[in-house]
Amino acid sequence: MMRKWTWVFIGAALLAVLAAFAFDAGMTRLKPQAKHILFVPKTIDSSFEFWEVMRQGVDTAAAEFGAQVTVAGTETEWDIEGQIALLEQAIADKPDAIILAATDYNRIAAVAKRIVEAGITLVTVDSGMKDGISGSFIATDNYEGGRKAGKLLADAIDPNREGPVAIINFVQGSATAMDRERGVRDSLAGYPGLEALAPIYSNASEDQAYRLTLELLRSEPELRGIAALNEPTVVGAARAIIERQAVSRVKLIGFDNSMKEIAYLEDGVLQATIVQKPFNMGYLAVKTAIELSKGKKVQPAIDTGSEVITKENMYASDKQKLLFPFVER
Amino acid sequence: MRRRPFFQFKSIHTNIAIAFSSLIICTTVILSANTYLLSSDAVKDNSYAYTEQLIGQVNTNIQTYIGNMESISELAIRDEGLQKLMRLPDPYDPEGLALTKQASGFFRSIAESRGDIASIVFIGTNGALVSGRSDAVLKDYYELLNQDWYKSAREAGGQTVISSSRIQHVYKNEYRWVVSISRQAEAAADGNTGVLLVDLNYNVINDLCKQIHMGNRGYVFLLDPTGDLIFHPQQQLVYSGLKSEEFDRILQSSGDRSFEAESDGKTKIYTIRSSPYGWKVVGVNYPEELVGDKRQIQFSAVLWGSVCLVIALAISILLSLTLTKPIKRLEGHMKKVEKGDFDTRVEIESTNEIGKLARTFNLMTGKIKELMGQIVQEQEDKRISELKALQAQIHPHFLYNTLDSIIWMAEMNKLDDCVRMTSALSKLLRSTISKGEELIPIRSELAHIEHYLTIQSIRYRNKFTYSFEVDPAIMDCRMLKIVLQPLVENAIYHGIKNKADAGHIQIKGYRTGGGIELQVIDDGVGTDAAKLNANIAKGRAGPAPAALSAAAAASATSGLGLQNVNHRIQLNFGERYGLSFDSELDEGTTVTLRMPELGEGSGVQL
Repeated sequence: MMRKWTWVFIGAALLAVLAAFAFDAGMTRLKPQAKHILFVPKTIDSSFEFWEVMRQGVDTAAAEFGAQVTVAGTETEWDIEGQIALLEQAIADKPDAIILAATDYNRIAAVAKRIVEAGITLVTVDSGMKDGISGSFIATDNYEGGRKAGKLLADAIDPNREGPVAIINFVQGSATAMDRERGVRDSLAGYPGLEALAPIYSNASEDQAYRLTLELLRSEPELRGIAALNEPTVVGAARAIIERQAVSRVKLIGFDNSMKEIAYLEDGVLQATIVQKPFNMGYLAVKTAIELSKGKKVQPAIDTGSEVITKENMYASDKQKLLFPFVER
Repeated sequence: MRRRPFFQFKSIHTNIAIAFSSLIICTTVILSANTYLLSSDAVKDNSYAYTEQLIGQVNTNIQTYIGNMESISELAIRDEGLQKLMRLPDPYDPEGLALTKQASGFFRSIAESRGDIASIVFIGTNGALVSGRSDAVLKDYYELLNQDWYKSAREAGGQTVISSSRIQHVYKNEYRWVVSISRQAEAAADGNTGVLLVDLNYNVINDLCKQIHMGNRGYVFLLDPTGDLIFHPQQQLVYSGLKSEEFDRILQSSGDRSFEAESDGKTKIYTIRSSPYGWKVVGVNYPEELVGDKRQIQFSAVLWGSVCLVIALAISILLSLTLTKPIKRLEGHMKKVEKGDFDTRVEIESTNEIGKLARTFNLMTGKIKELMGQIVQEQEDKRISELKALQAQIHPHFLYNTLDSIIWMAEMNKLDDCVRMTSALSKLLRSTISKGEELIPIRSELAHIEHYLTIQSIRYRNKFTYSFEVDPAIMDCRMLKIVLQPLVENAIYHGIKNKADAGHIQIKGYRTGGGIELQVIDDGVGTDAAKLNANIAKGRAGPAPAALSAAAAASATSGLGLQNVNHRIQLNFGERYGLSFDSELDEGTTVTLRMPELGEGSGVQL
């Protein structure tokens, strides 16, 4: 009988040790589980610095908050169908959160709704979509950026000179484009001497912007300034201004940054450019996504802000990082 | 007052269990606590030491790079061709151009031999421009004169100036992240001098710092003496105010030190190393990461401690049970022995002390039982022999009275009576004296009692009559001898003698279910039957009837004679048998003797 109890006891002891092992292992594994986040930029083409820098921000935040980030995206910014298909696949994979830069304001909304319905935390960056169903929208306040651009343009123009100013937008129907234009217009409205012309659209094409600017310089000889609302448009417009030797006559205020823009900035063709902070966008997107998926309350919209870069401040230490992102390749 | 010892519990089992348990608890607690303390200290110390080591290493590496750059700049600036070029009044004359070409060749060879040098540029105050690169065009001379690196080198006069991380824009349309080292050359006699610029690829520093991982989230950053960030993994967040560091405290602190500070709502540990050229290498650790490790150690220590404790406690209880169980069993057996059960035997096979104890116990009880049996046997033998001696006696009074009666009858010439009485006495004596069997046929016992009755009826002259009514079938059955006589004696002395008129004694014998009953029935004064029965019962349990002295027996008033009979029957046949009384005042008394039916030839071993 004693023998039997001994065996029972040995069994129980072994069981206890096993249970402790299992518990120990379980506790180790149960330590705050890494959130799986899917980052869908508009493009995964690494030649687009904006998205590369945003990705750095995403990676930095992922490392800091212990999240696991996968990047998936389409080759081009206008492959809307591709992005929809990719998001459909993402719903099936069920990550904890999706950080999405919507390629289209209207057409992505449906699939975004399904993402939210599937219980996946959705955070939009840079470009939102209609209905605003994402948990948070992290982007530059483009309206504010537009206002800054409008003011810069007005300041750059000789106060004694009056005349028309042009706004070259890049695409009709994009929230970013619309907000920027609205900002520029509202800001220019404060300067009675300056008359904002009807918007023209470059379709984000440098050549189109170049042609439009040539046409503009021809048709509006009194043109005082141009607000070009994105990078290819700026470059196209600058080319045309140089070609028509209108540098001193026509002031150019742009958006975003590129080597070409910096060169124009140094040459004085481009008076100022409004740069966004993609690193901060990516970083905050991940931070917000993690907070949301943990059930915390976050702001529905976070403005990452924009900076004005001029020839004078472009080499300032705090601006250099924005203008010349250090991208490891 | 005697103090009660601290460890005084009811059982050895508890004592052992508690002793073991406290021992184990002490050991486990001390070990666990020790393990925890040691390992958590070790983790903390290790991580501090590791951090310091890492930061020190980063610092050394960076210093090495900077040192290399300085020696390269030294080398470049002392180049003879360059010195000559610097002294030329017009560097764009044929000699100057040749010297420029020679110097750029030299610069290029240096830059190409080292991947970490982005470019080497020399600007002379005489307008000389020497670039180590052929694939990029330098900016305009006067634009270059306005650049920070040139200005600061001029201001520093001969001292090496190390810039923060910056965008180098000495070449047209080229913007590279570099750390610049610039120094002014020793001025020539005519005041001509120049500034040499060596650009270190920022990649080198970036890679160096990025690859440093301290814990999961720790990082390294570099700060120049003015408080500018040379490297920070989250530089843009810092500039945007989304992140902050304790720059002031870092800049104020001189030399190498560590401190803990709160920033961004988190506690950070800053480990600072300063380098001779003013840079500070700062490592940032999150103590909560260490705490996480600590917590895991804590958890493990507690978990395993408690598992060990539970197992150890179970073992101690089990062990003490195993130890004390045979003792308990032994105790149970001893209790039985205490109650008189000497047949108990302890079945303990083990060979240890308790096994030995059990065997000794068994031997002891065996011995006690043997001794007890012996004593009982001896006592019984003694009693039986006493009884035998007693039964064999004829009371002298009786004999004297009888002889007196015989004398008196002879004097009165009552010859018949005299003869009858004398022959009865002689027969009575013979049967008493006869040694023979203890068991005799009922017939003989009845004959004996008849002799006795004959004598008594003559003595008490017509005071009573008697009759026998015995089943002839049992006549040959055996019974103890001289058991009826005390009953009849009792009937005469207590029943008939005190009765006013003549009485009658009847002796009955018959079979009953379990044996034979003999009854002596008188119609005398009667007595208290309950008391007699009680006396009989008491007498049985009482001491051996040493009180059966001749005197007491002679008076025969006490029930000792009866007790004696009862005792003899029970000794021989068991307690189921014996005497019982039934009496009614003025009606008479019936004494019933029960005994087993013993056929002819059967015997009882005595």
